[in-house]
Amino acid sequence: MGAHLDWGLPVIGYLFLAGMGAGAVTISSSVLLRGGAGGFGGRHFAIAAYGAFIGPIITMIGTGMIVFELGAPLRALNLFKLINLSPMSIGTWLLSVFILISVIYALTFLPWPPFIWDRLHRVRKGLAWICMPMGIAVALYTGIMLGAMPARPFWNSPILALLFFISSLSTGIAVIILAQALFYRNPPDNPEALKLFHQSSYLLAATDIVLIGFELLTIFLFVMFAQLTIGSVKAAVSVILPGGELGMAFWLWVVLIGLLIPALVEFVYVVPKLVYHREYAAPRVVEISLSIAVMIGGFMLRYVVVIAGQITGPVGL
Amino acid sequence: MTNDNDKLTGRRDAVKMIAGGVALAAAAVVAAPEPTEADDKEEEVKKKTIRYGMLIDVRRCIGCHSCSIACKAEFDVPLGVERSWVEYIEKGVYPYVGRSFLPRLCNHCSVPPCVIVCPTDATYKREMDGVVVVDSGLCIGCKYCIHACPYDSRFLNPVTGFADKCDFCLHRLTKGVVPSCVNTCIGGARFFGEVSDPESEISQLIASESVSVLRGGIGTVPNVYYIGADHTDESDANRPEVREVHVITHRRKKKRR
Repeated sequence: MGAHLDWGLPVIGYLFLAGMGAGAVTISSSVLLRGGAGGFGGRHFAIAAYGAFIGPIITMIGTGMIVFELGAPLRALNLFKLINLSPMSIGTWLLSVFILISVIYALTFLPWPPFIWDRLHRVRKGLAWICMPMGIAVALYTGIMLGAMPARPFWNSPILALLFFISSLSTGIAVIILAQALFYRNPPDNPEALKLFHQSSYLLAATDIVLIGFELLTIFLFVMFAQLTIGSVKAAVSVILPGGELGMAFWLWVVLIGLLIPALVEFVYVVPKLVYHREYAAPRVVEISLSIAVMIGGFMLRYVVVIAGQITGPVGL
Repeated sequence: MTNDNDKLTGRRDAVKMIAGGVALAAAAVVAAPEPTEADDKEEEVKKKTIRYGMLIDVRRCIGCHSCSIACKAEFDVPLGVERSWVEYIEKGVYPYVGRSFLPRLCNHCSVPPCVIVCPTDATYKREMDGVVVVDSGLCIGCKYCIHACPYDSRFLNPVTGFADKCDFCLHRLTKGVVPSCVNTCIGGARFFGEVSDPESEISQLIASESVSVLRGGIGTVPNVYYIGADHTDESDANRPEVREVHVITHRRKKKRR
């Protein structure tokens, strides 16, 4: 490529981690809220807990990456002197509130003594009502931030924010699947618990398929509209088309490894339950590898988009 | 390297100007005297906000890089980055070839995309003279404005870590001297002045000559005008009548973005 990159790996890593964290918290709070105490949310309480713990941690790691990328981390405090209409300013405030709320939300999942635990339920639910929209906002704003510049034709697309948002939810689910597959220990002689575990996995996998479907559709729209226009946008998008500088990274790593293969594998395991009402039981190896594949896809999507936006510019002077 | 003192004075002037205007309006309402010619003129002067602009007559440019050097010397701009530079555009296939020069600098746009995206208001367009400046006290070095600029005229200063760019030599303007690149241009290709004043030399030239701006289609409304600029870009190499285009940027960034 050889082009000058002002936003490198720390920014790409931030977009990926913060998106995944926001997605995980959004999924966690929506699972918790669905059905409230005893029903749906109660049954899948473990999913909500995994998402609640992982989300804020990876969001904070990502945020740390961009703060230190500034060179002088304390300078970032200038962001809190005001708020203006810059997507980065609004995003900073959203992100700060999101981190604060989601950390408190995660704390409510800690094994508190029973007399506190019994009273925590309402608090947790209340926090989930805030966490869900805040997570959506954080997952959306990164795409809006890139899209705000007419000088960068690759980014200057209204659908980029939607693409990042769907990818955030999808990678958020993937990280929950991964955590569940890695940390879940089946209590001996407890078939009920194992059944519940598989039900949770089914819920996540089935949701992931839907999200990946939407993501593929969004990518299709993004590429198609760029291809149908002329000038700067068409020239910019040609770098991710086959034969372009980032064509391989995009079609192999994002579309094939990150989206198509995980979707197909999940489909194979979801269909028997969906159509024939059989038990859903994906081997852990499969769950681990496909969730890693989805996460690689999410990272590579941010990578391709951030690099492609910087190596292309307006056509003509 | 923006002079904070000057900026402060500038702001104070603006406040005075506004306060003066308000006082005058109040006086007019209370006393309602017959407006005299002198009063009108004074009010007009107070109301007037200057908008600076530059006109570069590329026909008189010899590509000597004096402006780039003067700028480097004026601001001690670190190696590898530049506030002002000259591009050579070489095009065509022998024997039909051409080479043209294109001096570049910040366009001090009337609709500056860098100002729109700045999250800390560190970059702003001065109301009293239209110069787009960076307040290094607020800049966090996020590089958002560098991406937003369609002219690639911003950079991260490797010494300070802040966004940096041409500021029309604000420290010279406040002392009534033209910018360093204008002062040094040996071909007399650069004209500087108030584009807001129709009587100024630059306004008259812009009004009477065939001028162009760079990337006008984006909607930035630049305040740097060119006479006889070659707008050929590397994408024009696809045209059969041009065939080959090499843009030599004379920057560490080899490619024009």
